[in-house]
Amino acid sequence: MASTSISFSAASFKRSRTVAAVAVGLWIGSVAWSAGPRFYPDDPVWSDDDRAFDASKVVVIEDTGGYDFVVNTFSDPGERRDVRALNVNTVDEVPDSSWFTNRIGRRQMSVAEVVKGPDTLDQVSLDGWIVSGGKSTGVQPGFRMTDPSGQVYQIEVDPPSNPELASGVEIIGTAFYHAIGYHVVEVHPAEIDRAALVISEQATIRDPLNGRRRRLKKYDLDNVFEQAARLSNGRYRVLVSRFAPGKPLGNFRYYRTRPDDPNDIVPHEHRRELRGARVFGAWLNHDDSRGINSLDMLETADGWAWIKHYMFDFGSILGSSTIAAQVHRAGNEYIFEQRPGWLTLITFGLYTRPWMHIDYPDVPPSVGRIESAAFDPLKWKPEYPNSAFDNMRADDAFWAARIVARFTDEMIAAVVKKAQYSDPKATEYLTKVLIARRDKVTAAWLNHVCPVVDPVLAGDGALTFANAAVAARAATEGEGYQLQWFRFDNAANTRTPVGDAQTVPAAASRAPAGLLESGEYVGVTVTAKHATHPGWSRASTFFFRRGGSGWTLVGVERGS
Amino acid sequence: MSRRRVVPILTLSVLLCAASASFAQEPATRAEADRQQREEKNREVQPYKQSGFEKAMHFVEEKAIFIIGREGFYPKLGSLTTGSGFAYGVGFRDRDLLNNNGELDLWAATSIRQYWATEARLTFPKLANNHLLVETWAAHRDYPEEKFFGLGPDSARDDITSYAIRSDLFGARAGVRPFPLLLAGGGLEYLNPRLGEGQDSRVPSIEDLFDPTTAPGLGESVDYLRTMAFVELDYREPKNARKGGWYRVNFSHYDDRTTGLYTFNRVDTDLRQFVGFLAGRRVIAARLFISTSNTDDEHVMPFYGMPTLGGHDTLRGFREYRFRGPHAILVQGEYRWEIWSGFDAALFYDAGKVANTRSDLDFENLETDYGIGFRFNTNEAIVFRVDAGFGSRDGKHLYIVFGGVF
Repeated sequence: MASTSISFSAASFKRSRTVAAVAVGLWIGSVAWSAGPRFYPDDPVWSDDDRAFDASKVVVIEDTGGYDFVVNTFSDPGERRDVRALNVNTVDEVPDSSWFTNRIGRRQMSVAEVVKGPDTLDQVSLDGWIVSGGKSTGVQPGFRMTDPSGQVYQIEVDPPSNPELASGVEIIGTAFYHAIGYHVVEVHPAEIDRAALVISEQATIRDPLNGRRRRLKKYDLDNVFEQAARLSNGRYRVLVSRFAPGKPLGNFRYYRTRPDDPNDIVPHEHRRELRGARVFGAWLNHDDSRGINSLDMLETADGWAWIKHYMFDFGSILGSSTIAAQVHRAGNEYIFEQRPGWLTLITFGLYTRPWMHIDYPDVPPSVGRIESAAFDPLKWKPEYPNSAFDNMRADDAFWAARIVARFTDEMIAAVVKKAQYSDPKATEYLTKVLIARRDKVTAAWLNHVCPVVDPVLAGDGALTFANAAVAARAATEGEGYQLQWFRFDNAANTRTPVGDAQTVPAAASRAPAGLLESGEYVGVTVTAKHATHPGWSRASTFFFRRGGSGWTLVGVERGS
Repeated sequence: MSRRRVVPILTLSVLLCAASASFAQEPATRAEADRQQREEKNREVQPYKQSGFEKAMHFVEEKAIFIIGREGFYPKLGSLTTGSGFAYGVGFRDRDLLNNNGELDLWAATSIRQYWATEARLTFPKLANNHLLVETWAAHRDYPEEKFFGLGPDSARDDITSYAIRSDLFGARAGVRPFPLLLAGGGLEYLNPRLGEGQDSRVPSIEDLFDPTTAPGLGESVDYLRTMAFVELDYREPKNARKGGWYRVNFSHYDDRTTGLYTFNRVDTDLRQFVGFLAGRRVIAARLFISTSNTDDEHVMPFYGMPTLGGHDTLRGFREYRFRGPHAILVQGEYRWEIWSGFDAALFYDAGKVANTRSDLDFENLETDYGIGFRFNTNEAIVFRVDAGFGSRDGKHLYIVFGGVF
């Protein structure tokens, strides 16, 4: 009985195992099916509805400088993972969202439009404005003013040692970051007559000596103007920053998500526009790229609230450290880096950091300290580690570098001119430096993957594409392209190669015969050869979906 | 039996499939898929809570820094004078007095070596559109164990003694700033130093080894009216200098208003030069300090009015006040190298001597030492340093100091 029973049980076990396997297979299949197709009918999406849920219950998160430095320097916040940015659409681009609005990267912008930036006013006149408060944050001296309509502005001055320095770079940075696609606040240069300032009865300031809020006094303004560069006409050049609409929520962080914002579902270190900000930071030497220089505002409409995220405070970009010329280390090394420090210590300073040897040209004080000859975009660093920057991959950098490449010499010159430097040498030098740095940025990051872009598959099977690196003059023509076509099963997310690999000398090819006759999706993987750019061998893959009269690009993968 | 097992398993699998399908509510579009994720987060949304560390940093950066530098009552911490040891007390200050023109600072503090002092100081640093400085003060100092080894370069280390000195001071000075880097002016001060037995039980009191011939002024109580004139040029960049210089000459006439015997003149010249290289991350700092005095034939200079060498800011290989004389010369050199932003190291060399006559005030037979130091600093000042001095005939010395050297 027992043996019979055992024998029966074994047979039953085998059958049960088979049935269980079928059941598990079915379940896995259903889960796989539940995971959905690779491409949905509405792909690629160009707008991320991250205002879908009411976020009115969010609270202020305002990090201190010390906290931000310590956390990012000595811990490793967020996730370090070699994963494609999680907020890109299927064609590897960033949809519009509360973080980013595609501008120069996706459409033609005129020079005038780039220069205008977020401005709603052509210029500002401070006539009739009153001083409505002090400025308690940041190192740049300033105060607040309110215009006759009640709109609040922040007023900041330039350091006496470097007139026009901080205000100039704020204006330049704002225009560039806006054109790139970030949300920024509107800034203008203006002249102020110290004697004409009127302080509001309600104006208060957080006392710099004890931190307590108290009424703003005349001498608070004296303290500001003591640290200000004065014009030859006795007035002061100031930067006027328009307060963003909404309720201030402090800053965003370059890692994790806000736990209290239902719309914030992508860890910030995996957002493409935050990873790619490293490229823009390198170009513009925005070494102050850190959480505390960001701004979250709660906007409301129709009883609905959502967070809008801003890049904020460009006073310490290019050659400026806001209150003086930029320090030599900026952009070259974190504030705290173990290895060079220990080496310096044990060698009694005989070990020297490379940036100590950079020869900065003699330029007007309004420029500060920036150059392009020694600039190496791949080695550029902000003040301290940034989780999103650390997660930047070749595809993120490629995306950002393409945007940088869209800024023409004429645009750069016009944006620098907007800063209204009184010394033409400053305008000329900064323009030259920014063009040279742009070229280095594009050369560095457009060549780390196969730089094929804008593929078009015609109904007759003709494929044309462009080379972003060549178009940006970041590389010469290569030695040809290799293409492997495939048929794509969207539901199963599988590829079936069709035909042999093709080698073509130029940016055009043709789909293998028969490939386009059946199936809804096809694709092609492209690599390229270049003697000095081995990164071109890292494939770019393109997916096309059958449309009404031809094929539509529906997917892009880079560097796989 | 097998059928009875197969049926439930298949049933279960169908249910699993149905459940998973129904759980996922399969989206038909990307927009729906994203919305599902947000719905899920919306169900789990939590209020943001600060971590303990975050709270601590907020407290430190928004509250604690105002405790040290705060207006009103504040903790007075640091040292009272060379050799006092760590001092602590309480102060009160108002730095925006009279429409932000004046600064008032009142404090009282005692140290771990029983030194104590109190001071009231009223300063108007930026009058006449920043061209005029006016300052007045009143203070009381009680230093119970100041060290004395005898006068002149040949004083013996074994002759260490201590003495107490107590003094009230009332003074005022004014300076004009014709241009921002230059300050020149003069002042007047009343002071009444009183000497007493040294309170350091480890060493003899001064009168056990010295008398008024070897320690002039010992046993006398005199009041002084000090008149002074000074000129100061400061073009350091930044104040914790990486380049530039700081030069000061100070002339003082000490008029003995009690006996007339101890009237003397003293001139202190302090020249500091800073040469930065390698982007200012390496600095050669040099200092020349010369103090000289003169008295008429019928006058004597008291020992406690003489310059001293030895200690954390002069000859660092020697103990505090190791050398004392009517004249002194000190040369200091430092090679400073930045390790990290805000943290420097320094190799230093000190040489100096005191002299009994001005003709001996030369660079012959200097006492020397060398050492290494580590400094936490800002652009404005050295906040905290540890210096170790070696190479002298006075042994090794370690100094832990809140503040800079020169």
